[in-house]
Amino acid sequence: MSEMLRRALAEPRVRVGAIITLFVLAVAIFAPLLAPHDPTEQDLVNTLLPPMWQDGGDPSFVLGTDSLGRDILSRLIYGARVAMTVAVVAAFGAALLGSAFALIAGYFGGVVDWLICRAVDVWMSFPPVILSLILMVGLGTGLRNVILAIVIVDWTRFCRVVRSEVLAVMKRDYIPAARLVGFSHTRVILREVLPAVTPLLLTLLSIEMGIAVIVEAILSFVGLSVEADLPAWGVMIADARGYMYEAAWGLIVPVLGIFVTVLGTNILGDGLRRSLDPRLAQRLAAVR
Amino acid sequence: MTDTALGIVGRRLLAAVPILIVVSALVFVVLRLIPADPLGMSLPPNATEADVETMRHEMGLDRPIPEQYVIWLGHIARGDLGISSHFRQRVTGLIAAALPTTLELVASGLILGILLGLTGGLLMFEGRGRVTEQVTDIGSLVVMSIPEFLWAIFLILALGVGLRLLPFIGRLDADMTVPPVTGFLLVDSLVDGQLNAFASVAAHLLLPALALGLALAPLIMRVLRSSLIDTYVEDYITLARLRGLSERRILLRHALKNAALPTASLIGVQAGFMFGGTLLVEVIYTFPGIGNLMVEAVRNHDLPLIQGIALVYCVIVLVINTVVDLAYLALNPKLRRQ
Repeated sequence: MSEMLRRALAEPRVRVGAIITLFVLAVAIFAPLLAPHDPTEQDLVNTLLPPMWQDGGDPSFVLGTDSLGRDILSRLIYGARVAMTVAVVAAFGAALLGSAFALIAGYFGGVVDWLICRAVDVWMSFPPVILSLILMVGLGTGLRNVILAIVIVDWTRFCRVVRSEVLAVMKRDYIPAARLVGFSHTRVILREVLPAVTPLLLTLLSIEMGIAVIVEAILSFVGLSVEADLPAWGVMIADARGYMYEAAWGLIVPVLGIFVTVLGTNILGDGLRRSLDPRLAQRLAAVR
Repeated sequence: MTDTALGIVGRRLLAAVPILIVVSALVFVVLRLIPADPLGMSLPPNATEADVETMRHEMGLDRPIPEQYVIWLGHIARGDLGISSHFRQRVTGLIAAALPTTLELVASGLILGILLGLTGGLLMFEGRGRVTEQVTDIGSLVVMSIPEFLWAIFLILALGVGLRLLPFIGRLDADMTVPPVTGFLLVDSLVDGQLNAFASVAAHLLLPALALGLALAPLIMRVLRSSLIDTYVEDYITLARLRGLSERRILLRHALKNAALPTASLIGVQAGFMFGGTLLVEVIYTFPGIGNLMVEAVRNHDLPLIQGIALVYCVIVLVINTVVDLAYLALNPKLRRQ
């Protein structure tokens, strides 16, 4: 495990991606300490203020205010909370569910594999955004339900990819060997197969965090995400859209928030894939 | 060739029936979990208890859920998707009116995305092993981190509000009308011989289509680049070099054809996803397509409409999968011989 960490950290992309992601995570965790204002506090005298460095800006509202006079910087900071909560919990949930099904399908094969694959087929016959919208209608809004919807939609991303990796691992000699020694199925799956697919799992997990941030933003843009009093980036975009001529800034800030977060997880995922996937490393070596 | 192609279409059609039944059941059950009463949305605020009961009975909501599902399925089999509780119109009519808008948008987005992606992928591959590789690689990662709806907003801010170059509301200038024939305004404006309307439609289409295309392009770039790298270790590339063929010819005639398979399957999967991506793009650009209609339906808890659109999305994805299979067949001679 430490060998894997060392190899990963030797890749500059992993370091850059991890720094960006950890930064957003830190902002999310320490939001109450960092935010200068209450993100829901309205100041109807100071609406649509520009950032402090522009004409008419107010130093107490660093990035300006929105149409209800709420501080944009504070909403950005608290928005990171919603985004990262969803990103971390939903990505882990989807990874857990998807890889559990993948391990079961790939290890046992046969009818179980067939059933799980058909379930994935059904899920894949839907654009993910549409499925999550339908789930949100059925489940109702709220942070817990957003996370649940993303897990229910995105487990297939893990299941498909991890299953084919499990099938490849099953062809190696040490799996039947472990069974011959008398290890139980559970032990072989958890001790032999799972470690072999972990690098892939970490890569997918990182990318899924970015996907979860985007899906949450889409749902909150439509008004079907977290509770109304939680500042989410998608809500900020939806609110600011009506004022883009007078106050483009209110639109740019949450857009940048989403972009930076997704960029961090994508760079991290790309770095992990490059540093932990031995086949890719060989392939790249063969070309150069 | 045609036998295999027919076989593929036949097999896909057979598989489509159980998938559609399962999907429709899933959608139906999920929507019955709804915490709010769907009737609340479709009745005036002064409705009496008796009105509610009549309505409930009319819509069949007083029956058990499995029975409701079977009834609904029976209606679908006859091509009847019910009546929208919000718009008070037939769901099939609403969808038929909106679908061409979305298809036109997605098709334009796909074309732009594929053009940008293929060009970018070839440039990335050509620059391999040099500084350009690092630059294009990081560049594609950055572009990849911007989803469709953020592109949509960026493009509006930059080219619509900022430079005022292109329109970004609706499908056509407000003072123009095009008589509907196919619903595809690019086609209808030409059929009607209105060249200025055609130009207006194209200008309105450009930004949203570009938003979709820009989200797709970096994915194509990266997959094409890595499959080209895979292809170049094959013996026939060395052989072609020994035969004295130019590098350009090797790339365009030999390598590209073989590297096209993974790219084609990526485009297939992404084309399905793009129908999800248009949702917000349509809302942002006020395009009256099925994405916009879906958002309206969802906001109004319009169950018949949500169910109908969900099925349409499912059918679209199944059709795309079939087309991808056929493209595979055309690209891969090995499959044809089997």
